[in-house]
Amino acid sequence: MSSRRVLDAVGLAVALGMWAIAAHFAGPLLLPTPAAVLGSLVKDLPRLIGAAGQTALAALLGLGIAMALGLATSMVSYSSRVGGALLAPWLLALQVVPIVAIAPLLVVWLGYGLPVATTTAAIAAVYPVYSAGRTGLAAPSRDQVDLLRLYGASPYRVLVDVRLRAALPALFAGLRVAAGLAVIGAIIGEFVGSNGVPPTLGQLVVASARSARTDLCFAAIVCAGALAATLQLGISALERVMIGGWYGR
Amino acid sequence: MISLAGVGYSAGPTPIVEGLDLTLGGGVTAMVGPSGCGKSTLLRLIAGLLTPDAGGITGVPERRAFVFQDHALLPWLTLAQNVALPARYRSGCEEQVLPILARLGLAEHAHKLPNALSGGQRMRGSIARALAARPQIVFLDEAFSSLDGITRAAVQADFQRVARAEGWVVVMVTHDLQEARLLADRVLVLNGPPVRVRMDLAASELVEATVLAALSEPT
Repeated sequence: MSSRRVLDAVGLAVALGMWAIAAHFAGPLLLPTPAAVLGSLVKDLPRLIGAAGQTALAALLGLGIAMALGLATSMVSYSSRVGGALLAPWLLALQVVPIVAIAPLLVVWLGYGLPVATTTAAIAAVYPVYSAGRTGLAAPSRDQVDLLRLYGASPYRVLVDVRLRAALPALFAGLRVAAGLAVIGAIIGEFVGSNGVPPTLGQLVVASARSARTDLCFAAIVCAGALAATLQLGISALERVMIGGWYGR
Repeated sequence: MISLAGVGYSAGPTPIVEGLDLTLGGGVTAMVGPSGCGKSTLLRLIAGLLTPDAGGITGVPERRAFVFQDHALLPWLTLAQNVALPARYRSGCEEQVLPILARLGLAEHAHKLPNALSGGQRMRGSIARALAARPQIVFLDEAFSSLDGITRAAVQADFQRVARAEGWVVVMVTHDLQEARLLADRVLVLNGPPVRVRMDLAASELVEATVLAALSEPT
């Protein structure tokens, strides 16, 4: 085992030890022990897996919508000053208005269930994709763009053949951030937009906290973290496959 | 014959080229001058990559190729795909890529991404791409300056061989007087901005001390 892994293991053990000590003093209602959370993870596994599946679906759908919207808006904003000016207030609103404040309104509009969590996930994730798209579209060197112009490529071909391809490294960086935000957005949507049929992680967190099942609440939070980490690892793996060879990564 | 008549170009409030008259013939013309004097801007104006604010440029052949200092190979395309790039946008460039790569000793690297190539191989790839464009005129902007001495000499020799065989008209920018003497027929010594031609001489007449003295004189 490498020294780095030993250090990671020691760090994890210390953190768990401190958690266990704090839980001992706080009591199980306020802070469950690591063992109790592990027990809940095992005992409630089928329920947690079902809930995580629903949240993952909402986060993935939201991330997909955010990717499409973020990329489209970044292309419009990059290509047209007027388009950029028209989109700016909407993008600013999406960035600054708290999702928690929008979620109840979404329930009124969309009803309970997947659409609310999907929408909040998309709202949470769209800005990083847009921002990465804007940065990425400007990534090609002037020489690369001039070269295609010299060979007679139209502005549209320059956009598709060079700018969009060159934007991929920045887009992957943006997607990693957006993936974590999509899970957070989905869970916030589920706090108010999920009635427990089918169960979701957001609904499970709220319901278990209300019924003093803090062990289950923590187990659901662990699942949400694992979901976000899995999405980010998946995006990193895709990045390695798609653009790893470009810069020797 | 390429003619520049009263050409002007500004970037912001500073004129980089102002009222410039110049005639360029065949063969290889090197434009040398200190950094920031505007020689690369002038090259881009002649190549049609920038549009002059004033005056006009006539007589530049339609089929142009450009070799950049940073090679400008697209990192997601293999070397062969990069060399085939001109054919995607310009008709009459459907030449076989592999024979072109072979002429520059790159055949075995055809399917590698630029990241897997050495600096010299990337620059040869850039020359191969210019060759695939079947140009009448080739522009070089400090094309060899990022290479180490030994590689630079080898790539310069490859370029010279290809340019002579193809009968290219070449307009190049360099800050290396030795390179200008080696590759060019005619040398224009520039200073500025705005760009001014301080000396116009045959490459064989190029003497470093004279050039430095000319550049140090007030305009």
